[in-house]
Order: sequence, then structure tokens, then C-alpha cells
Amino acid sequence: MTALPRIVFVLGKGGVGRTSVSAALVARGERVLVAEWTVAEAIGPLFGAPRAGPDPVEITPGLWAANYRLDATLRNYFVDHLHLPRFYRHVIDGPLLRKLIDAAPGIAEMMFLGNLWYFTTIAAEEADLHFDRVIVDAPATGHGASLLDLPATLSSVGATGLLAFEVGRVVTMMNDPAWTGAIAVALPEELAIEETLELVPRITRDLGRKPLALLVNRSVASLGDLEEPPADLEALAAQLSPAARDALALELMELRARARRERALREAVVGATERGVLALTDQLLALDSPGARDVVRALAGEVAPLLGGSA
Amino acid sequence: VTARIHVLLGAGGVGKTTLAAGYAIALARSGRRVGLLGIDPARRLQTALGLPLTDRAARVALDPPAPGSLDAALLGPAEMLRRWATEACPDSSARDRLLKNVFFHALSERLATANDVLAAIRLAEWFERDPSLDDLVVDTAPGLNAIEFLRRPESLAAFLEGPLVVWLRRLAQAETGRGGVMGGFFRGMAPRVLGGLARLGGTGMLVELGDFLALGEPVLERMAQRLAAAQRFLRDGRTEILLVTTARADAAAVAQQIAAALGDLGLSPRAVVQNHALPAALGAELAALAGAPLGPVGAAVVRYARAEVELSARVAAASAHLAPRVITLPVSRGLDGDRRLAALASLGEALSAGLADPPAM
Repeated sequence: MTALPRIVFVLGKGGVGRTSVSAALVARGERVLVAEWTVAEAIGPLFGAPRAGPDPVEITPGLWAANYRLDATLRNYFVDHLHLPRFYRHVIDGPLLRKLIDAAPGIAEMMFLGNLWYFTTIAAEEADLHFDRVIVDAPATGHGASLLDLPATLSSVGATGLLAFEVGRVVTMMNDPAWTGAIAVALPEELAIEETLELVPRITRDLGRKPLALLVNRSVASLGDLEEPPADLEALAAQLSPAARDALALELMELRARARRERALREAVVGATERGVLALTDQLLALDSPGARDVVRALAGEVAPLLGGSA
Repeated sequence: VTARIHVLLGAGGVGKTTLAAGYAIALARSGRRVGLLGIDPARRLQTALGLPLTDRAARVALDPPAPGSLDAALLGPAEMLRRWATEACPDSSARDRLLKNVFFHALSERLATANDVLAAIRLAEWFERDPSLDDLVVDTAPGLNAIEFLRRPESLAAFLEGPLVVWLRRLAQAETGRGGVMGGFFRGMAPRVLGGLARLGGTGMLVELGDFLALGEPVLERMAQRLAAAQRFLRDGRTEILLVTTARADAAAVAQQIAAALGDLGLSPRAVVQNHALPAALGAELAALAGAPLGPVGAAVVRYARAEVELSARVAAASAHLAPRVITLPVSRGLDGDRRLAALASLGEALSAGLADPPAM
């Protein structure tokens, strides 16, 4: 299996574990940047490191993080890249334009994509930042997926000049399967599955190709179908108080429902991704009181097949 | 407006949609005229209520019949924006031009993800259309996003009122021959700023933007007014905020973030709802039976149950101080079955009963 593209968007509903999955997509010996654009979740704290700022910082060997901020990116673009410090100070950063930039549709998103282009091209030369891959821990489903077709939308705005040039570069980046790809993350929960069933074709439509894979996080597939409660568990339940027995029965019912939903999801996405569906075992089934780092380590083992065998 | 707003906030996947539906049904069964505004991008709410929902409110049949009533609507960003454009632009040729404008499309795309803003505008619209409503139950987007419009109310207003917008509008009028001589309009910084922008993106784009702003003004203005009205409603003392968590560490963290953000706004949740809570007794009894012989599947299930009980207790402890009441709701049976509506109603009644209890602190 070929290696992942240089940019991988990790997309999914809020709470499906995008951040842990992003942190796990690092093969040994690689330098990987997780480009974050979220309010609630951050990758640094998973490793006991502080939340990353707009400039990439190494949070654990090989794993870097940068948390997108529009103002820092605008500054970097106009001052460091275009060498227009006065234009930046008086026009872009002036009170009139800043309000419009903050509110206007698409600008923050376009600058975010421009940032990804930068990190995968000239950042090595301009800022001595070398990355084998950029993982995009994209905002929850809707907003994250809206990034994928933004370049096409912007191309239709009829821009000329510098903006058209920049949009063109980003379009090239997004259209190249060796440069950009997407991974969908799901949970075996009803709402998350329904969103996934909309997300997968949306990625295919907006990016112009199938997602690389669908990862089912917190999978319970390793337990089998659970349709018949195991006899040893029944014997154990018989020794519990009625309230506890009822609670255990509800837990088993929930696990069975998760297993059913996961099977249905797998059937529904057959052929809809490049590299199939990968189940990531729920670590509550495997480890006693797993911490965030334990989960990332376990996930890294499970996503290794996606990394082209280099892990 | 005399109606009471009930807002459910919390991380993704904690059961806000289901609780909102259950609560709305319970309120309607108690005799009130209730609205339910869902943002549910999936179809769960529709399946639960047994009818297709659109952005227009539709009557839900209560079974058994009840003295109150329930109307439900789902946010549909694209449909809503088209509807608002149609209502605000009576002139059909201007409306067609607006609907075709690339910036209108860009705005639709962006608003499609701004569920907080859309829900707030829809809420104010609902009260305009139906002033006799008693309660409006609002399901929200996950996490802090749901209250983003309360935290940064200036964002949309800045877009509508900035001086640059006025210049661009005039530029568009001048270029399309409806304004006059372009030079006459601009003084001070305007020509330089516009000149810089034209160099960056081309005049054609500026004209398209200005055209959008001129045509879209009535739509955007109406949206801004409704948003301001919604902000007033939500901040008046009658709004009931429920913070929903479940036995997940991230759900507890998100609840704390939301509570802190609400505190900054001078708001506080009426209750923390701990959904899918597991009894502590289960953990203690399973721990006592730790030596029992189990196969790999049984052992994994027991480990899972013990982890969930432990998490459940940890989340309850971490969120107890966030509101004067903690309401504990067990896993509901029957939400996937044929008697969904009845299961939803009893879930909602359990929530109502918890809210009726006197506060613990």
C-alpha cells in the first residue's frame, strides 16, 4: 500500500476522536505536523504539553502541532512571504479591513488552506520547517468538509491578480491525490453513523475522489456480534443485586447495539473508500483505566496498516 | 415574548437531541403549547417523532392525545436563506440576481455551518410568527459552538455595518451604472483601500461583492435584527439552560468549558443533566466478583462496564458544582424500538421531574 498523501484531512462529527486519531497517524522516524483548527480539543494536552500556538511546536518526538490563527497567518503571508509590511500594517491589519476579514465568508478558510500549502512546500526553505506530512484535525463535520470544496467555490468568484494566483496554487494542492487526501472517522453510535453516511459521499463529491479510509473508533467488533449473551456473563449477572443486574443488562444491550450499527455501517460503505474500513478497538475493552497517551499508543498500532507499512 | 426558552447544551453525542425531543413531548403532554427546534443533521429526530421535518414548523401528533400541542422544525440552512431572501426581496429580478450571486452562495455555505446564528435567528422568527407559544425547546450544535453567537455578537454586525461595506456597495452601484460618477463617492482612505483590494483580487470581484451587499441588504438586515432579538430573549432571566453530559471524559471537559463561557456572559445553567448514568453499585458489585472465571468476551464486557461506572462517577463529581441541580438519567430502553414516542415521553418526564426538585445548593 502506498504511503499517505502529504496532507490528510481527518474529518468526523464532534467527539468521535479526531484528535486522538490525528496524533496516532505518525509512523516511526517521520516528522508530522498536526494542523489544528478547533476550539475545544487540542493535541498538546493529550501528551501533557500545553496547547500549541500558531507556530509549530514539537510536542512529542516526531509529532508537531500548530493551532491555526487567522491573524498570525495573515501576518506571515503579507509580511514574511510577500514582504509587504506597510500594506499589512495599514490596510490588512487596519481597523476597517480586519472587521470585514473576520466576518467575510471564506477568508479564514482560504488562509487556512494557504497555510497547509505553505507547510507542505516553502516552509522548509522559508522557516526551516520540514514535515513529511500534515494531518489536518479539521473542525467538526460540516465546517471541516466545507474546506474541501472552498477552492472550487473561490475559483468561481472571478478573482484576478494575486488572489487568483493563490487560489490556483491551493486548487492544485487539493486536486493532487499524492498531495491531499481525507480520512473519515466514525463512532458506532446512531447519530455519528448517520453523519458519516452523509460525510463519505460529500468528501467524494467535494474533493473529487473517495476518502482514503473510514476509521471506526471505539469499535466493539472484537467482541463478536453479542447476539447471544455469553453464558459466563449470565452466571456472573445472577450473583448481582437486581439494580446492578439491570444496569449490566443495559450495558450489554448498548454494546450489542454498537456492534449491530458497526456492521450496518461497514455494509453501507463497501467500495466507498480507497482503502476500506479500519476498526479501532474501544480501549475500555482492552485496558484498565486507559489514559489519553495509552489510547493514542494503541490507536497508532491499529492505524499502522494505513501508513504504508512504514510503521 | 412570554414564551420560555429551554436550551440544551453539551458535547457531541451526549443525547441532547433525544432529550430535547423528550422534554418537548413531556411539556406538551402537560398542556403547554410547545415548539421544538432541532439542528439534527441526521434523521433521528424525524424518526423519533415519526414525521418528516423541514425548516417550517409542523404539528406532531401526540399519542395519546394531550391538552397541549407540539410543533417541530429542523434547521435547514440553504432552505432558510432562500426563504428569507424571497421574503425580503419582493422584486423577482433582484431576487434572482441575489440567489445567483457567488457571494450569496459563499455566505450560504458559511452559514450552513453557523448553526448557532441560524438557530438564534430561527428562534426569533418563530416568536414573531407564533406569539402564543408557551415553550420553545432548542437542541444545539455540540460544544462551545452553540453559544458562539452570544460570545461574539459583533461578528455578523461588523460584516453588515463596516464602512468598507458601504464603499463596496457604492462601487458596485457606480460600476453597474446605477450610482453615478465613482469619484464623487469616495473620500479619505477609501480609494487607497479599495485600490489595494482591487490589486489583490481584481475589480470584477469587488463589483460582485458590492452587488451582493446592495441586493442582500434587506435580507442581512432582517437577519441581524432577529439575531439581536434572540440575544435579548436568551439573556433574559426566563431562559432555562440545561447542560448535558454523559460518562465520557471529553463530555465532562466540554461541560466545564461551556459553564465557564456561560459564566463570562452572566448566564448559568439551571441543571446539569447526567445522561446514561450508571449506578455506582454496579461497579462495587463487579469489583467484588473480580475473581469470577470469565472468557475473553465476558471479561471485556465486565471491564467495559466497570470503566463506564468509574467514568460516570468521575463525570458526576466533576460537573456537580456547575449548576444548582444535577439530574441523573439512566440509559433509556425502547428508543430504538416501535414505541419510541412513549420512551421519549417518559425520558422527558424524568427530566421534568428532576427540574421540579428543589435545588441542592
